Amino acid sequence: MASVAERLQVSPFMTFFIIMSMQIGIGVLGFQRIIAETAGHDAWISVLLAGASSHLILILIYWLLQQADGDFVLLHQRLFGRWVGGVLSLLLVLYFAIMPFVVLSTYIEVVQVWMFPDLKTWEFSLALFLLCLYITFGGFRIVVGICFFCLIIPSYLVFTFWFVLDYSDFYQLLPIFDHSPSAILKAAKQMTLTMLGYETVLFFYPFIKGGKQSAKWAHAAVLTTTLFYTLLTILTLAYFSENQLQRQIWPTLMMWKVVELPFIERFEYIGIANWLLIILPNICLGLWCSSRICKQLFSIRQKMALLVITTICFFCTLWIDDRAEIDFANTILNRAGFYFLYIWIPCLAGITYIVKKVRGNV
Amino acid sequence: MTAPPPSVWTTLQTLGSSTDFQTKVYRNDTAGLYLWVSYVEPMVDMEFVARSIFPYLFHCPFSSLEEIHRALPIDDAYISSDPNNVKEKLLEGYLFIRLHETDETGLLVKAQKTLERALTVPEVEFSVVGPKESFIESLETNLFLLRKRIPIDRLTVKMTTVGTLSKTKVAVVYIDGIANPDNVQTVLQRIEEVEFDEIIDSSYIVQIISDNRHSPFPQLLDTERPDRVAAVLAEGKVAIMVDGSPHVLIGPTTLVEFFSSFEDYFLNWTVASFFRLIRLFSVTFSILITPMYVATLNYHYELIPKDLLGTLITSRREIPFPPILEVLFLELTIELLREAGARLPTKVGQTIGIVGGIVIGTASVEAGLTSNVLLILVALAALASFTTPVYKIGNTIRLMRFPFILFAEIWGLLGVAFCFCIIVTHLLYLTSLGRPFLSPLYPPRWRDLKDALVRLPFTSQSKRPETLRTEQPIRFDGKKAKQKRDIDE
Repeated sequence: MASVAERLQVSPFMTFFIIMSMQIGIGVLGFQRIIAETAGHDAWISVLLAGASSHLILILIYWLLQQADGDFVLLHQRLFGRWVGGVLSLLLVLYFAIMPFVVLSTYIEVVQVWMFPDLKTWEFSLALFLLCLYITFGGFRIVVGICFFCLIIPSYLVFTFWFVLDYSDFYQLLPIFDHSPSAILKAAKQMTLTMLGYETVLFFYPFIKGGKQSAKWAHAAVLTTTLFYTLLTILTLAYFSENQLQRQIWPTLMMWKVVELPFIERFEYIGIANWLLIILPNICLGLWCSSRICKQLFSIRQKMALLVITTICFFCTLWIDDRAEIDFANTILNRAGFYFLYIWIPCLAGITYIVKKVRGNV
Repeated sequence: MTAPPPSVWTTLQTLGSSTDFQTKVYRNDTAGLYLWVSYVEPMVDMEFVARSIFPYLFHCPFSSLEEIHRALPIDDAYISSDPNNVKEKLLEGYLFIRLHETDETGLLVKAQKTLERALTVPEVEFSVVGPKESFIESLETNLFLLRKRIPIDRLTVKMTTVGTLSKTKVAVVYIDGIANPDNVQTVLQRIEEVEFDEIIDSSYIVQIISDNRHSPFPQLLDTERPDRVAAVLAEGKVAIMVDGSPHVLIGPTTLVEFFSSFEDYFLNWTVASFFRLIRLFSVTFSILITPMYVATLNYHYELIPKDLLGTLITSRREIPFPPILEVLFLELTIELLREAGARLPTKVGQTIGIVGGIVIGTASVEAGLTSNVLLILVALAALASFTTPVYKIGNTIRLMRFPFILFAEIWGLLGVAFCFCIIVTHLLYLTSLGRPFLSPLYPPRWRDLKDALVRLPFTSQSKRPETLRTEQPIRFDGKKAKQKRDIDE
C-alpha cells in the first residue's frame, strides 16, 4: 500500500461525494440532446444501461486496486516494465490534464453565450486557475472539501425542476422500446461519456481511510448519479418534443427558463453562476490527479507538477476558444475516457488475472 | 569584565530610583531593635499593614527574622535572600523587612492591595434569561466564578506567565479526563512560545497563537460569560484565561459556534433552532444582498421580474452614479456610523446613530445620490450583521461584503459565485488548535449536527462533539433520558 499519512486521509464515505461531484459536471447542461438524437424517447433506457455498465467497470477498478495494493501507477510498471508502464501512466497524466481545460472552456463558452458575451476568456480562466492552485496546494483534504461543498450547496437546484413538471407531458415517453436495441446501445455508449468521473478513484484510493470500505460508497455515488440522470432525461423528454429537443444545445438551461419566482425572472442566470461550483471539483480533482501521477512517475514535487500543468492548461484555454475547437477537444477527451474505461480497464484486468495465475502474484 | 552578581542591596538601590519605593526605619521598643521596612507604595494596602502587621512588629519581643515570621499571623510570608525574588515580590506588593540596612536576607510579607470592579451584567453577550454575571479583569475572581460552576477536582488549571514586560498571568483551564490531552498540550505549548513584551488582553493572545494569523476569521471563541465557559469545558474544550482581561478564550472552536448564542440553551429547542436558522439566514443575507444588487443592476437586470424592475428603475432614475459607487457610498456611510458610534460615549453615540441613520439616509435619497431601495437593503444588511452573537465574527462578516461587491462589479453573479468559492476554500484551510474549523459540516460529523445549525433537545445531546476527540465521549446515558412511555401509563 502506498503509504499516506493518516492525517491526510479522508473517511470512506467521502468517496461518495468525490465521485458524484466528478461525475456531475458540465455535461449535465446538454447531454439530453445527444442521446435523444439516437435513441429518441427511449433515451432514458440508455442512461440506465450506461449506469449499469459503470457499475461493472467500477467493480473491475476495485478488483484491480486490490491486486495493486492501491497503486495504479505501480501496477502499470509491474505489468509492463518501467518504460512501457511509465508511458501508459503518462497518457493518464495527459487525460487528466486535458480535463480541466476542456471543462473550463466549455463552461466559459456557456457563460459567454448566455450571460456575458464580452467576458474575457483569459481574465476569467486566469482567476479560476489561480483559485484552483489555491485549492490544490492545500492537498487532497481541501480538494475533497471543495468536492463536498460544491455538491451539497448547488443541490438545491434539483428542486427547480419541480417547476418543469407543470409543463411536462409524460405520454411523450410512450411507446417504450420504440427504438432498435442497437440505437439504444449506441446512445448508452454516448451516455457513458457523461458518466465519466469515477475513474479518479484509481488515483485517490490510497487517500481513503480503509480503502476497501469505500467500494460501497463509490457504487452508491454511481447509482445516485444514474438515477439523477435518468430522472433528468425523463423530464427533458417529457418537457420537449423530439424536434424541439434537437434544436437545443443546452436543454437543461432551457428548462430553467420556466422557473418562476416572484423576485426572480430568468432563473438560468442563477443556475449558470451556480454551475461554477459544479465544475470546480472537476477542474481541481483533474489537476490533482494529473500532478499526483507526475509525482509518482518522475519523483518531483507535486507543487512543481501542479504549477506546470496549470500553466499549460491556462494557455490551452486561450488557444482553444471557438465552438468547433471546444467540441473537438470534448470529443477527444470523451473518446479517451471511453477507451480508457471500457477497453483498457477490462484488458488490464484480464492481463492482471493471467499474470497472477502464471506468476502467483502481481 | 563581568558585572558583579546582583545582590539584594543593589536591587534595592535600583528600585530606589523610583520615588514611590519607600524604605522606612521603625524601632521596636520592646526588643530594642530597629526594622528596615521596604515596599512599593502604590502596590501595598497600607490600611491592612497598619492594622494587621505593625502591631506585631512593634510590640512583640523578638531578636531574629524567624521569630518575626512566627509571630506574624500572615500565611504568605517567608524569608528570602534571592535578589530576583525579592524584586519580583516587592513589585507585586510585598513588604521586605530587614534587621539591618545592609542585610542581604529579609522577610517578605504579603500586603497586596486588591482593587477590582464589581461583577456586572454581560454587555457584549447579553441574554434576557439565564445567569447575569460576567467575567472581570481579575484572574482570581474569574477562576472563582468558574470553579463555582464546576466544583470537581478534575477541573485543572495550568498557570504560566507571558510577556517580558507585563508578566501577565495566563491560566489554561480544562477538565482532566474529558478534554483531549493533545488539545491541552497544543494550547500550553503555543502559550509557552508567545514572544511579546506587553500582553494587555486575551485578544493579544488569540492573535498570537491562532493557527492562521492572517485570516480575518477569529479561530478561538472569546466570551465574557462564565456559564458559557463552564458549558464548553464540560464538552471537552480548553479555556484560556488571561489576567486583566474579562474575555476568556475557548478552543478548539468551529465556524458554527460563532453563530450560536448562549441564550440558545436557555430557550426551548424548537425556538432556539428557529433563532439559529434566522441568524444564519441573516448572515447570508447580510453578506450577499448588496453584491447581488450590484450584480443584477450592472449585468443581469433580466433576472428581475417586470413588476419589481419598475420599482427599481423608478428609484434609480435620478441617480447619477453606477450601482457600485452607490453601494460603496452607503456601505461606507454605515461603517462610518458604526465606527463613530463605537468611539463616542453612549449618549452622544445614540444621537449620532439617529442623525446618521435618519438624516443622512433620507437626505441622500432626496438629494438623488442613492436609491431608496438600496438604502433599505444596506440598512437591513447592517442590521443583519449585528445579529451575530459573537462580536468578532460580526466584524468579519462586515468585512467579507467588500470583496463580494468588488467581484460582483467585475463578473456579476459569476463573480459572486467565484468569491464564494475563494471564501469556502479559505475556510477549508482554517483550523482551530489543529482541528478543522468547518466541522461538523466538513469533515462531516453527522452526529455533531445535533448542535450546529439547529439545537436539538438536551435528551439528544448525550454525546460530546466528535470533532473534539474527547477522552470520554459520553455525557450521560442517552437511552435512559429518552425512555419512551406508552399512552395512558
